[in-house]
Amino acid sequence: MTVTAARQEARSRLVAFRPPRLRTSLVPYVLVGPALLLLVTFSVLSIFVAAAVSLTNLDISGLANFGAVRFIGLGNYQTMFSDPAFWEALGNTAFFVLIGVPTLVIGSLIIAIALNFSRSRFFRALRAFYFVPAITAIVAISLIWGNLYNSQFGLLNWLLSLIGRDPVQWLTDPTIAKLSVALVAIWRGSGLDIIIFLAALQAIPPEYYEAAAVDGANEWQKIFRITVPLMRFAIFFVTVTTLISWMQFFDEPYVLTQGGPVHATTSMSLYIYQQGFRYDEFGFASAASIVLFAIIAIVTALQLRARLESDA
Amino acid sequence: MKNRYMKQFTAMGLFAVALWTAACGGGTNTPTASTDKGPIQIWTMEDSTAFTALMQDFTTKTGIPVQVEAVPWGNVNDKLTTAVASGNGPDLMQIGLSLLPSFESAGALLDLSPYVKDHPGLQSSNYLSAVAADKINPSGKVLSVPWVSDVRVLFYRTDILGAAGISSPPSTWTQFHDDAAVLAQRGKGKFGYYIPQWDSALPVEFTWEAGGNVMQNGKVTFETPQFKAAADFYISFYKDKLVPTASDFDQAQGFISGTAPMVISGPYLAAAIKGTAPQLDGKWNVTTLPRNQKGTSLFAGSNMGIWAKSKHVDASLRLLDYLAQSSAQLAWYKAANELPTAKTALADPTLTSDPMVKTYTNQLQDAQLLPLVPKWDKISQALLDSLNSIVLKGADETSTLASLNATVSSLQT
Repeated sequence: MTVTAARQEARSRLVAFRPPRLRTSLVPYVLVGPALLLLVTFSVLSIFVAAAVSLTNLDISGLANFGAVRFIGLGNYQTMFSDPAFWEALGNTAFFVLIGVPTLVIGSLIIAIALNFSRSRFFRALRAFYFVPAITAIVAISLIWGNLYNSQFGLLNWLLSLIGRDPVQWLTDPTIAKLSVALVAIWRGSGLDIIIFLAALQAIPPEYYEAAAVDGANEWQKIFRITVPLMRFAIFFVTVTTLISWMQFFDEPYVLTQGGPVHATTSMSLYIYQQGFRYDEFGFASAASIVLFAIIAIVTALQLRARLESDA
Repeated sequence: MKNRYMKQFTAMGLFAVALWTAACGGGTNTPTASTDKGPIQIWTMEDSTAFTALMQDFTTKTGIPVQVEAVPWGNVNDKLTTAVASGNGPDLMQIGLSLLPSFESAGALLDLSPYVKDHPGLQSSNYLSAVAADKINPSGKVLSVPWVSDVRVLFYRTDILGAAGISSPPSTWTQFHDDAAVLAQRGKGKFGYYIPQWDSALPVEFTWEAGGNVMQNGKVTFETPQFKAAADFYISFYKDKLVPTASDFDQAQGFISGTAPMVISGPYLAAAIKGTAPQLDGKWNVTTLPRNQKGTSLFAGSNMGIWAKSKHVDASLRLLDYLAQSSAQLAWYKAANELPTAKTALADPTLTSDPMVKTYTNQLQDAQLLPLVPKWDKISQALLDSLNSIVLKGADETSTLASLNATVSSLQT
């Protein structure tokens, strides 16, 4: 009797000690907690700080003495919207995005599909070759390309002179400079996009291609009927990330042209950098970065919405 | 109640102690000077090896160790911002004259005026008049003292000018433009002169030479006939195709290759030519700037200041005193090719015996500082943007300069 009673009690205790549902539901939060904490501290919080700073006249004297910082409402935004350089930077960013993103996404996709045709040693070497720009330091890139483009002693103009062509003002003519800078960024950005596409390509089961071959499909049909539709998610992912990185376009114009000639290659990010870190107008730069943040958020939200709708 | 009175008394007591300490610090400086043995930290520009070598002599003489940290020119502003925001800076720092307003408005520099009396090296009369205390400091303060100087002169290729039938370098604006025109006729891809598109000092120099000034009543203005003359002169070189339009044109390369046989630059170009093209020795020379009403050049260079929160003010002052001496200034010229600011050092035979250095020192007598106002960076960028859009993009001169004037006045309200 007593033994059974004791067992029963122990069982009921076990039942009582079963972790409540609340605890099991806490597990995922504990797991994402550290990442979330970092994200909140360094991303979300800094957005709010930037939003608050954008309403002040914080500059270097304010940094030294917080008493000198004044709340100026939307003053920074007003000044910015009446600054032609801001609109030029916005226009340049749009130009870079329109040139760069389609070229990069379509170009990388084509190269990835071509690279996927064979797994021979040569093709594997080619894959490594295409990835090199992505891991090369931007300073080295700027030195090499700066020398290629140079109008006085650049390699490209020397090659042109061999075939009797006039030198091209690669980094000096406002329109050509935009294209030159975009070309370097496309070249540099392609490596990562190609790798992502290659991974997606290799995840496509070969049975589909075999079945298509049995049905008599040619290579083009295989690409357009099987490969591209099955890579929709990869294409979507690459498009979103490429778009965001091009809206934040900074490195190439910074190292190659410093935004010149006469603002022709000044992107939004470079404009923000110049205002914040060259002129020490931290309040104004924060306002500009909030505007860029809003634009990126809206564009990305629109893309996500478009994808949801197309999936539905 | 009693507690509150206690607090007030304590506060007053502390205040009195603080006042007393401050008074002692200001008045009787010399006894503490010998006790402050550092170590002190100094931020200098670019290369730290030469400066560290210079500091060895100072350490032997005073027993104060000095840590030298080199800051690249491009990073100075970042470094300053971080130091101001965190409150952690060095004891001393080299400040390029163009950055002086940023450092001053950041409150980063200690006012040295109470110490000048006891440190004769810091006295303004030791230095060139272009960097007199009242020109480099807000009124009544001494926030930094001159260290090295740099001046723009005309570099010209004697061989190329001679071959083009120009026997002596241009000494007036008219000759300058005419000679450039002759030199540009040497053929396709050859120019007479080179205007760096990043050089906002050049149109200001031209304004000074036209007899004007860009500062009026404490504000920057380009609404003067002299500035108009300067802008016209600047634009004329482009209009007549006497200068390259490429923004990536390399000044030193262009001068060495002879593409641009006349350039206006500082002594650092001379060092670059001597270093990279020794074969050109004797084929080039320097002269003072071509004159219009005047021949005023740009005075550039660096000052030295003490960080406002330095804990080794006395040791730092001794270092400033040391650097002000002719021997240190000459040793630095020898090591780094940077010209002194102390008058005695500039008059030293080691400098005056070199004809090129003689030209620099002559030009230093007629050289001015760019406006030392915090907004100058933005204003000068607007100036460059306007001039460059006229000469490179073909913008209308009158309307562009009118909108420049509007921008400049709105930046200073």
